Amino acid sequence: MIDLFRDTFRYRELIWELALKELKIRYKRSFLGFLWALLNPLLQMIVLALVFSTVMRIPIPHYAVFLISVLLPWTFFAQSLSYAADSIVGNADLIKKVRVPKVVFPVAALTSNMINFLLSLISLVLIVLVLRHPFYWTWFYLPIPLLALTLFTLGATFFFAALNVYYRDVTHILQILLQIWFYVTPIIYPIEIFGKYQWLLKLNPVIFALNGFRMGVYAGHLPSGQSVLASFVCGLVALVVGYALFRKNQDQFVYYV
Amino acid sequence: MQTNSIAINVENVTQRFRVFKERPDSIRALFAKFFRHEIQVQDFDAVKDVSFHVGQGEMVGIVGRNGSGKSTLLKMVAGVYQPTTGRVTVNGTIAPMIELGAGFHMELTGRENILVNGLLLGYSKREMREREQTIIDFAEIGDFINAPVKQYSSGMYMRLAFAVAIEVDPDILLVDEILSVGDMAFQEKCFERLRRFRAAKKTILFVTHNPSDIEEYCDRAILLDHGHLLLDGKPHEVIETYKAISGAVGHPHEALEPAITS
Repeated sequence: MIDLFRDTFRYRELIWELALKELKIRYKRSFLGFLWALLNPLLQMIVLALVFSTVMRIPIPHYAVFLISVLLPWTFFAQSLSYAADSIVGNADLIKKVRVPKVVFPVAALTSNMINFLLSLISLVLIVLVLRHPFYWTWFYLPIPLLALTLFTLGATFFFAALNVYYRDVTHILQILLQIWFYVTPIIYPIEIFGKYQWLLKLNPVIFALNGFRMGVYAGHLPSGQSVLASFVCGLVALVVGYALFRKNQDQFVYYV
Repeated sequence: MQTNSIAINVENVTQRFRVFKERPDSIRALFAKFFRHEIQVQDFDAVKDVSFHVGQGEMVGIVGRNGSGKSTLLKMVAGVYQPTTGRVTVNGTIAPMIELGAGFHMELTGRENILVNGLLLGYSKREMREREQTIIDFAEIGDFINAPVKQYSSGMYMRLAFAVAIEVDPDILLVDEILSVGDMAFQEKCFERLRRFRAAKKTILFVTHNPSDIEEYCDRAILLDHGHLLLDGKPHEVIETYKAISGAVGHPHEALEPAITS
């Protein structure tokens, strides 16, 4: 695990440039450029908010804030995973020709999505302003769930990036998995609708970190200590398992990409 | 040999590839084969028990026919491959890249690519900023440096790639087919730069298909065949042998003809 931090630190400039490169390419030749990082969640949110508050009539005040406070971190998680799963295979040309620690690729994919996420927070602020939802002091708490979510995402990222080297089916399976995962996570609905079966949802390892976001932005109070602890336990376990798999196989990647 | 200190030491290295006769690359294929016991693997040594060393300040060329293990050997020296057995030791900084322009991204500008390429080679952002102007000047790219690399002509692309590789100034330079860069004038400039590079006691190990490059520039040459080191010696000896084995196998008729006429 120490070598993960050592390599990440030593190659921090490379990781940063690779992340910027990914964003530049993602928004290249688009007229609005980086504005899309803001517009995407905004438009997505408007559609979902319209559907759920006017068509489905979910009786939740300021539903848009309720939704987007969790949707944005979820998007960070899901998109990091989709990008990172392909990060080793996608950089095959490089890996076959240059000696470079393999961890830089998934970490760079996560970093670019982190930048995207932080930009998209501006749209969250806009929505909170427009709906006149109160700005709670608990916004200051958000770095904590973000850290827990990042640990979990990083672990999952290593896991899928490594598997995808050997079996390209993984990218496809991952897309389906993420869709199912989206619906079994209380993002568009509150956890309470599951009544006494709420414990079932709590088997979901991302729920605790995401809960921190909803608490901080929408509810305005801190999550329970138990929930915070659970979010970090899930994050660390994912990181340890994911990185162990990645590390054990990283020298073999070059022969399979 | 100009000096007795060793820059690259290759000891009994073997690179074994596991070749799936039909590699299952989807889970379905894997299961199907697993349950029918159909996975057939075959070990194949691309490089077999090769030993040699390169002294500091030497320029050594590797020749051999296609599939003789030249690139595999270079990749092991670069650290892209870990040798299956044996050991590669490198003294000094090495640009761990086996192809010029590896890692260039078409959508990025020349300037951005210089930075990313340098960072990939293990240099810092500050070091690359310092070298940036030298690289741009050497490559003769001009204003195009701020245009995406995809708009470059292939000559410009290769010039920039060569400039980055040599101006980051490693102790050891590894290249696959280094000397086919640009037009005549630029090639001359490259050789001039390589001479200065070597005058600074720097080491070059390169792979080529062009025998005249070896004879003209190298101190020594190494001939690989079917993964074995066939010969390690003076450039002209190696070239003679290389021509002989290429002729004998590649063009059987040509090889026979002299025997009949003489």
